[in-house]
Amino acid sequence: MSNDSPTFIGRLLSSVELKLIFSWLLVVAVTMALDTNHTYWDSPGDSAEVVLRQTVLLGFFALGSAIIIISGGIDLSSGSVIAMSATVFGSLMIVLDPEGFRQGHVSSLAVILAIAGTLLVGAMIGTLHAWLITSVGLPPFVATLATLVGLRSFGRGLTPTLTGGKSQIDFPDAALRATLKDVTSISILFVLFALVLWILMSRTVTGRHLQAMGGNEQAAKLSGIRTDRMKWLAYVIGAVSASIVGIIMFADSGSAKPDAMARGYELNAIAASVIGGCSLQGGVGTIPGTILGCLFLRTIIDAVQKIVGAGSDVFEGMIVGIVVVVAVTFSQRGGGKLSDKRFFSNEIGWTVIPALGLLSGLSYLLFFGNGNREWYAPYQAVVVCVVVIACLIGRAVMETFTKSSDAS
Amino acid sequence: MTSPIISIENISKRFGGTRALHQVSFDVMPGEVHAICGENGAGKSTLMKILSGVITDYDGQLFIDGQPVEFRGTRDAESMGISIIHQELNLVEQLSISANIFLGREMRSGWIFRNDRDMHQAASELLRSLDCDIPTTRLAGSLRVGDQQLIEIAKALSIQSRIVVMDEPTSALTESEVERLYRVIAKLRSQGATILYISHKMDEVFDLSDRITVMRDGQFIETLATKETNPREITKLMVGRDIESLDLGPRPERGEKILEVRNLSLAWPGHARGYRLKDISLDLHRGEVLGIAGLMGAGRTELLECLFGASTIPPTGEILLDGDSIMPRHPSEAKRSGLALVTEDRKRLGIFSNMNVGRNLSICAMHEATIGPLLSYSKERTTGDETVEKLKIKTASLEAPIGSLSGGNQQKCIVGRWLLTNPKVLLLDDPTRGVDVGAKAELYRVIRGLCSEGLGVIVTSSELPELLTLSDRIMVLSEGRKTAEFAIADATQEKIMEAATGGWQPAHG
Repeated sequence: MSNDSPTFIGRLLSSVELKLIFSWLLVVAVTMALDTNHTYWDSPGDSAEVVLRQTVLLGFFALGSAIIIISGGIDLSSGSVIAMSATVFGSLMIVLDPEGFRQGHVSSLAVILAIAGTLLVGAMIGTLHAWLITSVGLPPFVATLATLVGLRSFGRGLTPTLTGGKSQIDFPDAALRATLKDVTSISILFVLFALVLWILMSRTVTGRHLQAMGGNEQAAKLSGIRTDRMKWLAYVIGAVSASIVGIIMFADSGSAKPDAMARGYELNAIAASVIGGCSLQGGVGTIPGTILGCLFLRTIIDAVQKIVGAGSDVFEGMIVGIVVVVAVTFSQRGGGKLSDKRFFSNEIGWTVIPALGLLSGLSYLLFFGNGNREWYAPYQAVVVCVVVIACLIGRAVMETFTKSSDAS
Repeated sequence: MTSPIISIENISKRFGGTRALHQVSFDVMPGEVHAICGENGAGKSTLMKILSGVITDYDGQLFIDGQPVEFRGTRDAESMGISIIHQELNLVEQLSISANIFLGREMRSGWIFRNDRDMHQAASELLRSLDCDIPTTRLAGSLRVGDQQLIEIAKALSIQSRIVVMDEPTSALTESEVERLYRVIAKLRSQGATILYISHKMDEVFDLSDRITVMRDGQFIETLATKETNPREITKLMVGRDIESLDLGPRPERGEKILEVRNLSLAWPGHARGYRLKDISLDLHRGEVLGIAGLMGAGRTELLECLFGASTIPPTGEILLDGDSIMPRHPSEAKRSGLALVTEDRKRLGIFSNMNVGRNLSICAMHEATIGPLLSYSKERTTGDETVEKLKIKTASLEAPIGSLSGGNQQKCIVGRWLLTNPKVLLLDDPTRGVDVGAKAELYRVIRGLCSEGLGVIVTSSELPELLTLSDRIMVLSEGRKTAEFAIADATQEKIMEAATGGWQPAHG
């Protein structure tokens, strides 16, 4: 409790948001320094557009995911909801204006109805989640695991029925596609969406009730809060936000492939929320924090791409993994000072040291071994591995011999 | 004289803002049964948790056999021969009896395989030595509480404990189980074990112990030889001041009838008795405190939950509030019709530990703190400050985390949260549980003050003196039925206990 500073400035300085902004600036600065192609110097606009597009696409459903997490649940289904929504959007356009779809010019009415229908389907999926959780009594993990698996399959079944046997729906209308994927308009849309959710969470009774429910569901119910309705709202927001992403991503990638589209994205959304300060125990987290979490995550992925070079979407998962571990380690509540913590002084700690060393060496090989760098030689990976192991052993020895200070 | 087996020297411990232990020092001699007495919140359990390695950060020093020790966990304490039988039992319900007894110290045959047969055999022998012949293959979760406790004792024996700590072991036992426990304690003692026996039940303490240590408000008061003292002296030391004579001012005028309950019953599917509550009728007037007494499992909490629409299955019967028939199906309906419930288990069902004091106060009446559709932080702050002042809640600010407050002040926050909804009837379920003595008196004053503002209050308590202090009438529950009702002038602890334990006699009318 001692690190809960009572003053406003103190709280601001210790907030996740500010830490994220500083970390983000650091990543940008490091990238500027290390990127041999000087992309951030030469074409800042292009780089910004790439990062912004990715951030916005992640941001929509990460915000939905964050609201579910803050209210004490979890949504594993967003990747499948995205794929399913793209499929539904395409299918609705085929059904509503088959002629226009074939000729590459879908009527505006059909487009509007298709978007409305897709969002409605999103709301229905959210309702299904809420029903499974509140009335059937499934844990959120199980309920959304079922739709994670089920909806993708459903989308795959739907596609050939409507396209006459094809496994994907191609985006029909070039002009419409340009509108829907335009980075300025989706950014504006995202800002509006985030603003609405931010006001909801920080400035309305409903938002406070969601937060209370996430902190202590039983107490919330006994305080006269309709927890079942709150859950419905959270899961509907979660699923609808994924549906929005489904529509945009359909335009962005030019086709809806229900088998491969947005696979595994749900975990990115959860990761972004957690990096942004949401606690998976519920009750803790903010909308601005989550947005910064998305921005930070996408920037660092972009930075590694810039530094390492081509083909680096391979490393995306690895980066997300590392960032989640590091971010949560640094922002753990009530964790005390990092220097007081004992990471390596027990059996498991000693055992993990070689694994971490090997991981560092191999990462070095993978990151820098592919390009044409004159300073690079494979033996350096061995050096990295040895140095990391030596450092960690040093830390472990230090932890073992310093007496814990918890008696004070 | 022999040297002490346990020496406790100047041990202090704080939890957030609450002082749980302050400079406690005393000795325990080898082979004695040493009782530790004190009210709830006196610090007995905290001290025992330190002794058994559950709590590892504290100030002061602990000596075992004259050697200073610093436990880093329960394993360390066990290796010194100390085991504790907690008030809340620590069994893995899905595992068998023998698996529980040997949990973490499983027998093996060779390097790899677990030797279940030997463990069952050893466990059976242990249980037999405790006059218990339950098959050790049964799952711990299928046992009655008394038998579960015996398993804990067997566990303590299996690690050859020299020091056994029993934390209020009889609170959930039937009379015959208590007798069996007495026999077990006698046996342990004959084997040379030292026993620390925590209880506030005077008869047990005087039946069993050699010496008695009294604690109050986290402080050591005195250690007395049992032969040289008497229950009255110990009680006086425990309470410190005569809590019954606590002056709460004149009782407020009794107003018109506000709440009436007719034949309220709550089914209990799958249980031999078939009901949790049966044909409960009561009425409550404005400005009046109705106390509900009863042992554990008598149905006190269930009754309040039914009134508040929080029971898992709907009750039958009739509830009239201000003459209107209500039967809330959800706490939100109860709240709207003017009821408020302060729950028994503050940590689990009351506070929102992720939110600060101000937000914990405003949560029930959020709609009072809005301008149009949006929350007004300044309105929220104003009502929060008013409540803090009215109930004299001791907090650094509204922004302080709720966990930094003492138990009594947390409880005041929860009462305050409900007062903001302008209730007509306040239901308080054991409101002073885990609250220290000073804060109790303040809560009593708050309750009395609310009555004079015209609220009707129903309060349950596990402590009879508290009910006698607070209530205008006392209703007694026993096994889900109403067995008696006393006006405060006629009520005595003896009469109430008789009605609470005596089973059911048909109450006429």
